[in-house]
Amino acid sequence: MSGCGLPWNRRVAQLLIAGAGLVLVMSLQNSTAEQKADGAGAAAVAAERGRKQFEQSCGFCHGADATGARGPDLVRSPLVAHDVKGEQISEVIRQGRPDRGMPPLPLSDLQIQDVSAFLHARAAEALHSASVPKAYPVEKLLTGNAEAGKAFFNGAGGCDKCHSPAGDLAGIAGKHTPINLEARMLYPGGKHTTAVVTLHSGEQVKGLVEHADDFVIALRDENGWYRSFRRDSVNVELQDGLAAHRELLNKLTQADVHNLFAYIETLK
Amino acid sequence: MLSQFRRNSRFCAMLFALLFLLSLGAPFAAAQGLDAAALLKPATDTWPTYNGDYSGKRYSTLNQINASNVNSLTLAWAFHTHTAVIKSTPLEVNGILYFSTPDNVWAIDARFGRQIWHYQRTSEGDHIGHRGLGMYKNWLYFTTPDAHLVCLDAKDGKVHWDVELADVKLGYFSTMAPLVIRDHVIVGVSGDVTDVRGYLKSIDPETGSTQWTWYTDPDPGQPGSETWPKDSDAILHGGGMTWMTGTYDPELNLLYWGTGNPNPVMAGEGRPGDNLYTCSIVALNPDTGKLVWHFQPSPHDVHDWDAVETPVLLDAEYKGKPRKLLAQASRNGFYFLLDRTNGTYLAGAPFIDQTWATGLDAHGRPIPKPDAAPSPDGTLITPGSDGATNWMAPSFDPQTNLFYVTARRVFSIYYLTVTGKAEGWGGRDQNLWANSTIRALDYRTGKVIWNHETGESENGAGILTTAGHLLFTADTSGNLLALDPATGKTLWHLNAGGHMAASPMTYQLDGRQYLIAAVQDVLYAFALPEITESSAALTQSGHAANQ
Repeated sequence: MSGCGLPWNRRVAQLLIAGAGLVLVMSLQNSTAEQKADGAGAAAVAAERGRKQFEQSCGFCHGADATGARGPDLVRSPLVAHDVKGEQISEVIRQGRPDRGMPPLPLSDLQIQDVSAFLHARAAEALHSASVPKAYPVEKLLTGNAEAGKAFFNGAGGCDKCHSPAGDLAGIAGKHTPINLEARMLYPGGKHTTAVVTLHSGEQVKGLVEHADDFVIALRDENGWYRSFRRDSVNVELQDGLAAHRELLNKLTQADVHNLFAYIETLK
Repeated sequence: MLSQFRRNSRFCAMLFALLFLLSLGAPFAAAQGLDAAALLKPATDTWPTYNGDYSGKRYSTLNQINASNVNSLTLAWAFHTHTAVIKSTPLEVNGILYFSTPDNVWAIDARFGRQIWHYQRTSEGDHIGHRGLGMYKNWLYFTTPDAHLVCLDAKDGKVHWDVELADVKLGYFSTMAPLVIRDHVIVGVSGDVTDVRGYLKSIDPETGSTQWTWYTDPDPGQPGSETWPKDSDAILHGGGMTWMTGTYDPELNLLYWGTGNPNPVMAGEGRPGDNLYTCSIVALNPDTGKLVWHFQPSPHDVHDWDAVETPVLLDAEYKGKPRKLLAQASRNGFYFLLDRTNGTYLAGAPFIDQTWATGLDAHGRPIPKPDAAPSPDGTLITPGSDGATNWMAPSFDPQTNLFYVTARRVFSIYYLTVTGKAEGWGGRDQNLWANSTIRALDYRTGKVIWNHETGESENGAGILTTAGHLLFTADTSGNLLALDPATGKTLWHLNAGGHMAASPMTYQLDGRQYLIAAVQDVLYAFALPEITESSAALTQSGHAANQ
């Protein structure tokens, strides 16, 4: 705002300086991001080399995946948890643990660094195991019978009352990852409730519900305008587009879920 | 200049003399600390521990704010922390509120909402939430994301000592509000992302030294270890975190605590057996840390259903006799009533729809359906891992004899993702749909007496009941609510502009009752309108005009 009263040439100069600054900041950010990506890539490469080295040199006692065999589970190891850049791990590898029957191992510095990278990667994997991978393999999900799923879709499930494989579900399996498709099949989420609000005057307002609680009903009317009413001053009729889904959630057996998914997954 | 200096120095000397005299009187005038008697008989002007008292009932005998006047409730003050969501319940001692978020403690004026001090200690570790503080004399106890226990001077927030409870590098952290019993500060630890062993500690309030440690996964060979596989490291990595504040019966001298899920969380194959004492309610001697009895709401849990919800202590009638009871609405969707002298199961029932068990057996053990465990192709059940309830405080109202719980329907699909030996979680559930309700249960049976729907998504608001025939809580649309505890009918509501992720509390000072509700990162204090001279005059002139 203070720049508004300046002569135009000074304002242009200011803009240029600001612009140059922005470019500089952006390029710095880019290079940091690239460095980070490079760092992560290098660590992954080292961890992969380390995996092979570990299998060969340590796997016999600690298990090929480091989860323990004759020797302890190293994914849970406090020493690995405290280790920074292989400093503590290298000492154990070089000195061994004679008191516990572990001999010293003749590995090079680079090999030890790789083994350390592998152990840290394994610990990080455990640390981040509280999520379902986005790229969850479809084979794991395909345990059901597509024919039985189709029969359920058109029969007991009542899905065909609202959906059709040639209509709204055409190509649906191609639009979502399998894991998301399974979730959306069970409950699509999003706003689906419409309301008809009848005022004292008899006027009716219809539209997609924006907000509903015990006290307020708010919707987008047919002209796209937001309207809100005290819940106790109007009559509200809610039409919940997902009511059938919710009802099904309570009733579906595990077999129903897997059969239905096997069928929906065919709608490519 | 010189004369002024002389005058100043004379003034300083007088001031020092006065301060010296005041300091001599200080031991007698130390009115700001916590009198230990308040923990046994909580006064209406004090909320000295996380649940207000040792019983965990979260029932206040205050009735100035009551069903007949709650409609005129007004804002007394608001305090903005400008930090994380407040999930703690403040303590209130001698006119000062003490509350926390991860890394932060505030002392604020309980009458006027002004900050007295703010303590900040940034640390590594999980910052998922923080429940509050413990207090002993002039000392406050604060747990940290890097699993330390910090003792602060309640006067100014200065650090008295700081001790490590657990190793943050192994994945431990701490969020709970310590429980003070005589000269024991009872503290728990959190951290189920890694496979570490849960425990409860008793700390010396003056020195910070450890008095005892009780492990939720017993040592191999000890009682309870038979519920774990032999010759494996499972038991020593079996989880069982002590996330939440327990309760205490001074007559029985028993400490009651809920324990968390076993590890690996969703993969049970490597730990066949009940996995004691995870997902359990345990009774310990607070002086020795020795286990007296246990009850397990979720044997061999694979759904992350911690049994850490408040073990509420009721002295009430059961089958015609006055009994010492313990009630828990557990995260797995079942309500349990126990005899708290010995842990005997008396009654239980699901407090919300659940699809994972066919019921409870005669000993209160849930009977899981054969296909309820997480699987590679997904297992659809309710409740999801967030639970049919969770850390939000329940309440028991001796006026209605009803037990209240924030209950949720959480439909979720559980995937067992692990291949090979499980480490950490080994799987996870995807939430599909959730909605919430406040439910009143007959404490004798767990039967639902009334139901008040609070909207879609998972409600994180706890419950407070008062002698004013009021139940305070919140819905999932940002409304604070006062309900009739007998019927569940709404008596008052206010759009507070955000979600309550804490449990409300109350106290009375100078004859005025305050209701404290944390909404997002703001602490609101509500009270009845004050009769000031000007408002009284207005009322008078109004009367005069009417005449």
